[in-house]
Amino acid sequence: MRALGVAVGSVAILAYPLVFSTPFQQRLGALVLLYAIGASAWNIVGGYAGQVSIGHAVFFGCGAYGALVSYQHLGLAPIAGLPIGVAVAILIAAVIGVPTLRLSGHYFSMATIAVAELVRLVVANTEWLGGAQGLSGPPVPRTLLDLSFTSALPYYYLFVAVLSAIIGLTWWIERSRIGYYLRAIRDSERAARSLGAAAPRYKLYAFILSAALTAVAGALYAVMFGFVDPESGLGILISVKMVIMAALGGAGLLLGPLVGAVILVPLEELSNSLLGGAGAGLTFVAYGAIVMAIARFQPGGILQRVLRLRRKARPAPAVPVAQP
Amino acid sequence: MLIEARQITKAFGGFTAVDRASLAVEPGEILGLIGPNGAGKSTLFNCLTGDLRPTSGCVLFEGRDVTRLAPEERARLGLARTFQVPQTFEHMTVLENVMIGAFLRTSRTSEASARARAVIDTVGLGPLADTPAHSLGTPGRKRLEIARALATRPKALLLDEAMAGLTPAEIARAIALIRDIHASGITLVIVEHVMEVVLSLASRVVVLHQGREIARGTPAEVTRDPVVIEAYLGKRAARAANRDAPESTGRSP
Amino acid sequence: MSLTLVQVIAGGLLLGAVYALFSSGLTLIWGMMNVVNFAHGDFVMLGMYVAFVVWKLMGAGPAAAVPVAALLLATLGVVCYFSLIRHVMKGPMLAQILGTFGLALLLRYSAFWYFGANFQTLPDTLVGGTLRFGSLRIESSRLLAGIVALMVTAGLHLLLTRTSLGSRMLAVSEDAAAAELMGIRPQRMQATAWALAAGATGIAGALIATFFYISPTVGETLAIVAFVTVALGGFGSVPGALIAGLLIGVIESVSAYAIGAVYKDIVVYALFVAVLWLRPEGLMGRTR
Repeated sequence: MRALGVAVGSVAILAYPLVFSTPFQQRLGALVLLYAIGASAWNIVGGYAGQVSIGHAVFFGCGAYGALVSYQHLGLAPIAGLPIGVAVAILIAAVIGVPTLRLSGHYFSMATIAVAELVRLVVANTEWLGGAQGLSGPPVPRTLLDLSFTSALPYYYLFVAVLSAIIGLTWWIERSRIGYYLRAIRDSERAARSLGAAAPRYKLYAFILSAALTAVAGALYAVMFGFVDPESGLGILISVKMVIMAALGGAGLLLGPLVGAVILVPLEELSNSLLGGAGAGLTFVAYGAIVMAIARFQPGGILQRVLRLRRKARPAPAVPVAQP
Repeated sequence: MLIEARQITKAFGGFTAVDRASLAVEPGEILGLIGPNGAGKSTLFNCLTGDLRPTSGCVLFEGRDVTRLAPEERARLGLARTFQVPQTFEHMTVLENVMIGAFLRTSRTSEASARARAVIDTVGLGPLADTPAHSLGTPGRKRLEIARALATRPKALLLDEAMAGLTPAEIARAIALIRDIHASGITLVIVEHVMEVVLSLASRVVVLHQGREIARGTPAEVTRDPVVIEAYLGKRAARAANRDAPESTGRSP
Repeated sequence: MSLTLVQVIAGGLLLGAVYALFSSGLTLIWGMMNVVNFAHGDFVMLGMYVAFVVWKLMGAGPAAAVPVAALLLATLGVVCYFSLIRHVMKGPMLAQILGTFGLALLLRYSAFWYFGANFQTLPDTLVGGTLRFGSLRIESSRLLAGIVALMVTAGLHLLLTRTSLGSRMLAVSEDAAAAELMGIRPQRMQATAWALAAGATGIAGALIATFFYISPTVGETLAIVAFVTVALGGFGSVPGALIAGLLIGVIESVSAYAIGAVYKDIVVYALFVAVLWLRPEGLMGRTR
């Protein structure tokens, strides 16, 4: 049954830009996928490991800036700068994670905000990183490797491939020891440690992986949009969107981030076109309200509610009355 | 000696919870750690497991100084524990809970699953292996705590008030389980309030009161000890017990 | 030491006192309930806007704005506690952090939408003039802010340590279940903590508004200042927050003087990372 659902879903995703083939619709699809990639990356540390990062934009920015710095200063194709972005992201994750993942979760979350802001300020004031103006990519594509396409269609399929890889990786982690340990740590870190799970270390692994994958999302963004500046690459709104999409769809669930992206990205496009500039403020008021509502009523997100309803619909397995 | 605690002192600000307490646990024995409320039993216990760092003193496991080792490292060495309030992994099934313990000794999911199932069967939770852990009642959760710890293949198992909140019938079943665990070669340290448990299980008992050790010996010796009776019931009861000393049956205070 | 430097340090101490004031609210809540209010900076922002509105409507200065802000924010704090915090406290960490973070976004962008992105300022005449201490010149608005902040923080500390209300709150923070058995109502004490903490942010905001830029995004920076202060001071410790606040105020203003205003925030944020690496338990030695 599940396999059928996966097959249908996959066909739908692959066929979407061919069926909905206007430039706007294709671009929207690519955008949904790009955000799903970022949110899925966040999900690894925020959903599975339960460590709530609200400064993940810093890793996104590492990827975006890594790509465009390589182009601007080394003349390389932006995507060739991906390893640099990933490396810096991992370094920053270690600086944040090593001291704070030994302590209660609050320190970690506070540190992610502070470091994200720190990096944004540094970048905005550093000339060779573009300062407040930002950096641009190649104005005309030089080779295919520049990945500079006029249509959104190639990006769409590129992002499908990357998202599938990330979901596949997450699926594999879920089933491995680290996946079990992360879930246990999320439920009770004390108990997990008493059973031999080196909690700080596993949380750090999850954080570093999440940071690296988020950098990938940032590099893809730079490649598609050909531009990044402190606001679009490192701004708090990127962090917010990653968190809200994963949490709304279902943090800690495999497809939660994708569900969240599918719901929120079109909604935001819609509200932008309806309300225009004035709407910008209101959109984030709405985001704040949504985040609060998730926290208050359904921290597990939409998918979790769906799963629970499905479980209720199924008859419960017979449980022996006499409990040991 | 399997476990040794030497001159453990733990102070929280101005308050000294444990004052130069020492313990020695021989392999294969069951040691009881008792004392009235606030005696420092839990604090000493947590110093043994690594959840608390003693202010001074040291803890040795198999002759090796583990005072500075984190709980997960002690688990790896073979020192397992349960929690007084069961720390169940609520969002996982019973099997998955126990697998966490099994994962200490293997990194393969299939192997951990098989070992966990075996342990679950030995503690009598077999039919409930695939049910969500949050659906268990207190006795089930306590049993799950023990199963999880057993799955780590410990040399020593430290039980923190495992009998709290159980009915007499459940206590009898739990005692039987603990005896089985002991028979399989695992050394046990039991912190307990319920006297009958300690008396029926422990070969030796250490009594704490206000952070200090006040008596040690066999269960019978300790329960007849006027110092112990006074700690639990006050001076009057101690004098009364003294008067009745020749007829004393060693029953719990 | 040059006169300018002394002045810079004095200014830093005065601003630091205000940092200490709103940070002590944050540390109080964290210590009592293990909840970090990620909207704390935006509470201060609201206090600033209250002062702005009070001036716009009544032409009045801090004498009116401070009590009004204190009252309004305290009410907001209690409302937040009962409608949101009480529930997310019981849930997973994700719910806790998202709860106050979502609130921060809501408040910030509501202010953005209602007041606009541009910053406002209160006129210099409200608390006018510069006082002279020898050759030292200090703006009265900053002096007032610093002294009032210091007094309120000290008052908060005395409330917590010398009154029966304070010891009841302390009992709840140590062991809510045990406190309940002694007849104390944990929820009431926790709501009181929120009222005090939020009220403090209102006072702090209304005080700073007399000399600071008032803008919707000010809460972002102030939140991080509060985090550094609480981490440096040691969570749960009001005296720690006081010392740390003063210290950070001085470090910030000396940095602005030495390497430029643009970089002062960077220094403070980097200080946060340094504290986490070197001494997360802070000056007062308390960590979770």
